[in-house]
Amino acid sequence: MSTREEILARCRSSIRERYAMPSLDDINPITWDDPVKQFRQALENAGGKAVEVPSGSDLGEVIKGLFPQAVSFAGNPGEIPAVNIDPDTVEDVSRMESLDVGIVRGETGVAENACVWVPQTMKEKAMCFICEHLVILLPKSRIVNNMHEAYRRISFTGYGYGCFISGPSKTADIAQVLVMGAQAARSLTVLLLPE
Amino acid sequence: MSKQHKDKAREFLQNDSYATWHDQTFWGVRAKRDTMAGNLPEWETLREKASQIKRHTLSHLDRYLDEFSRNAERNGAVVHWASDAAEFNETVLGILKGHGVRKMVKSKSMLTEECEMNPFLEAHGIEVVETDLGERIIQLGRQKPSHIVMPAIHLNHDDVGELFEREGISHEKGNHDPVFLTQQARLSLRHEFLSAGAGMTGANFGVASTGDVVVCTNEGNADMSTSCPKLHIVAMGLEKLVPDYDCLAVFQRLLARSGTGQPTTTYTSHFRKARPGAAPMHIILVDNGRSTWLSDPEHWECLKCIRCGACMNTCPVYRRSGGYSYSYFIPGPIGVNLGMLRSPKEHAGNVAACTLCQSCQEVCPVKVNLAGQIYRWRQQLPAFGKANPTKRVLSDGMKMVFSHPLLYKTATGVLKPFHSRFKKLEK
Ligand code: SF4
Repeated sequence: MSTREEILARCRSSIRERYAMPSLDDINPITWDDPVKQFRQALENAGGKAVEVPSGSDLGEVIKGLFPQAVSFAGNPGEIPAVNIDPDTVEDVSRMESLDVGIVRGETGVAENACVWVPQTMKEKAMCFICEHLVILLPKSRIVNNMHEAYRRISFTGYGYGCFISGPSKTADIAQVLVMGAQAARSLTVLLLPE
Repeated sequence: MSKQHKDKAREFLQNDSYATWHDQTFWGVRAKRDTMAGNLPEWETLREKASQIKRHTLSHLDRYLDEFSRNAERNGAVVHWASDAAEFNETVLGILKGHGVRKMVKSKSMLTEECEMNPFLEAHGIEVVETDLGERIIQLGRQKPSHIVMPAIHLNHDDVGELFEREGISHEKGNHDPVFLTQQARLSLRHEFLSAGAGMTGANFGVASTGDVVVCTNEGNADMSTSCPKLHIVAMGLEKLVPDYDCLAVFQRLLARSGTGQPTTTYTSHFRKARPGAAPMHIILVDNGRSTWLSDPEHWECLKCIRCGACMNTCPVYRRSGGYSYSYFIPGPIGVNLGMLRSPKEHAGNVAACTLCQSCQEVCPVKVNLAGQIYRWRQQLPAFGKANPTKRVLSDGMKMVFSHPLLYKTATGVLKPFHSRFKKLEK
């Protein structure tokens, strides 16, 4: 018998009573009158920043204005004209080692905890983590109340990877002192786009 | 005979100021958890649902394992099965050798600790680099974790600063500022991520209906470990499965709120397959006792645990004795129970490390009846030849109280005024 079959057989013989799946329809999860406002608050609590982008703005200019010192910008060049590194064509991840700003599109924002679902849309997803500063573009209308709503909406691309991101990378592993910028991006800015 | 919990606890308490800091730090985390819980009107409903979902999943584990593995394979992952620690370690080694890997970065995994994978791989010439900052610190110091979520909590910033100076991570002698030290570790780990041949992650959840492996971190180290090297290996215990996304939402909401008092971890990463140009993702499903524990009518619910750490944060004994006072590698209420499932002979001493105050099961997000189980282990001690005659008398008294509901109510009723006094003192 293969190990797989052995393990499944052991499980079967160990289980004594089979419990039913509970209904999840009566959880009544929290909602907000103004989910966008709650999202902004939650993002601030997580150490991130939300910036409203007025309609008609040039996204490239907005991003450059936020990071005047930055030299390297990575993202989808079709979307943001200002980028000078393309994570689809970069020959090796190590070429992004000193990347200043990574720019990516978010699909769904969550008001309760400022999570933003970011499906992989580029060949090298390292861009989202190795950069010093991460910028996520999120249409305001895509903010839902809670994770129950979010998990019903999220989708994957063919890359088979996606991540909820809430704020910058952080740690409190040294003497419980909170420090931003552990192994991944030191800062997170969510650009809230009009429709 | 090795030292008992009480002896090690006495040593821990010798350093009065540290012991006080430890106690207060964890009580602070517990208080943050309470704030999070208080902010959600549905909190208690979520806990009840989480408990029921886990009961359901564990009692249909054969079905969900089959479903998960098929979906993961359909996604393009290679699924391996390991009956015990030895088979797990050999499987990892085989995969690494097959890809000519000499160095592997890894994110936090209590399962690899359980299987003692690092020393095994190192004995076979493979360098393993921990990338969670806390895990990296104790790896450099050649120590074991003293908490499952905050593994380096037993060290202060001077300890870490001196360690980093010794290990060449920091070159500024005497600068023990946590911000500076974290930055030095970041720089050093950047190099490791980019030079490793493989990245390993644990799994917080495996989603049966989609084959997703879900990993929750604050540092982003699981994502760095899997987006730089060209091989991703997942180490996952059988009990990590959840049926689908609707269920996952319940656990995602509970995990960080319970463990660290945050509304979410920074990253909740979903892995279905390897990135372009990389080798296929390998998932190793590890049993190592779990399928047998399922048959234990008194203790199988320990398998519901999602390793949030809340039960140790709140435990008055853990807070005042520290992780190293327990003989099992997982401390606190859940560790006492898991140690007994693993080996009652080796770990029976830990069952004394409990006041039966039940604070642990009040906060457990999946409602493991931790104190109730410790109480039952104590009843079973004579069967292991481990009972202490004085404790026996006390314990028989407790048995009477526990088995007579009215008496139990009266007893806790009497205790109540004291209990609220305690609460005040704790703050
Ligand atoms: S037993 Fe409960 S409280 Fe303790 S670590 Fe597991 S899930 Fe958390």
